[in-house]
Amino acid sequence: MRDAEIEQALDRAAIRAPITLPPGLLGRIGNSLGPRIEAVRPLPATGILVAGLVFLIALVAVLGAWRTGFAGLAALPAGSRWAIFGALSILGCVAAARVVAEWIPGSPAHLVSGGLLTLICLTLLVLFGLLFHDYTTTNFVAAGSACLITGLIWAVPAGLLALVWLRRGWVVNPVAAGVTAGALAGLSGLALLELRCTNFEAFHILLWHVLVVPVSAAAGAALGWSAHRAHPRLSRRQR
Amino acid sequence: MTRYQAGDHAAAQALIERISPNLHRYLDAQAPNRFDADDLLQEVWLRIHRVRHTYQPDKPLLPWVYAIARRVHIDHYRRTIRTSVREQRWDELHEPAASGEPECAQVGHDLQELLSPLSASEREVLELMKVGGMSLEEVARATSCTVGSVKQKVHRAYGKLREAMSMTNPKKAQTGVVP
Repeated sequence: MRDAEIEQALDRAAIRAPITLPPGLLGRIGNSLGPRIEAVRPLPATGILVAGLVFLIALVAVLGAWRTGFAGLAALPAGSRWAIFGALSILGCVAAARVVAEWIPGSPAHLVSGGLLTLICLTLLVLFGLLFHDYTTTNFVAAGSACLITGLIWAVPAGLLALVWLRRGWVVNPVAAGVTAGALAGLSGLALLELRCTNFEAFHILLWHVLVVPVSAAAGAALGWSAHRAHPRLSRRQR
Repeated sequence: MTRYQAGDHAAAQALIERISPNLHRYLDAQAPNRFDADDLLQEVWLRIHRVRHTYQPDKPLLPWVYAIARRVHIDHYRRTIRTSVREQRWDELHEPAASGEPECAQVGHDLQELLSPLSASEREVLELMKVGGMSLEEVARATSCTVGSVKQKVHRAYGKLREAMSMTNPKKAQTGVVP
């Protein structure tokens, strides 16, 4: 049996399915919208939302480095600077586009949230693996956890600003939205670490710096999941 | 939709009348009974009304509508699961009266029967395409999947349907006559 024949059978079955709406249902729906519908301002174009998000995330990273110092940036060779911040900018744009798509129903999904997180982590691991070759470890856990905590602390305002920027949007899948927003906020925290951290040991950067992104994404997913769980309870109370 | 966003009640009513039949059929296929589909349709329109500002005029409308409908259905399903656990004991005590919804099993019966061998996600993709009248790209937008993932689901679904049709009517399947 060919695909065309299956398609024909499906089309016929779909056409045969009767559309029998209960009488008065559509009128009731129309009336439930109220006698007067208020005009609303549509969301800005996707490009504007993405650009705003990238700007806010970069702003948080720069403000963080302004408070904690640009020592890492100063110590990096010029080539590494371009490679790291170029890659972070590209990943930031991709992540911001995905976050905006999560906040607008019916947006195209060229990359699912798990795919985005994998792409970010793999790109960073490969890039840092290529750029840093000092395989010694000094104060591995103490220095690393300090970097991780700093990155995560600065990811929080980045995530909050992203939420404020996208407050008029509507999330279709809160967990996926949490993962993408968390990953984006994590990128902001990571950018801050690259600006300030002078520890260029490969394992330090590969583990503790990159870890900011998945941990932040996991926190975002947990928040999204709690919102998802809380939502029906809230809506029941509203009724 | 743009006129609806601008506050035109007649445009909203026209949109409701135009989209609701297929939307109801989609919800009917997802919901356990007809009354749920009626309630869901109302809930979907209330949700659409609340978030109508999120529609961007340069984007296709149907994926936006069905993405919201899908979310409403998922929320409803979760609520039902929770309440059904609590109400199970009550149901055990009070057997429901004979069904007062003779139409429920009839609506979309052929399509439902045809799609019965498929998994929920494969069924949903085909329903959106055949009932919602959407393209692969639009289904991908509505379900927040990649186009590749939707294509894969359709491919698998067709494989299962081919197998099911061949088993139910091997002669016709061999000759290419659709049962």
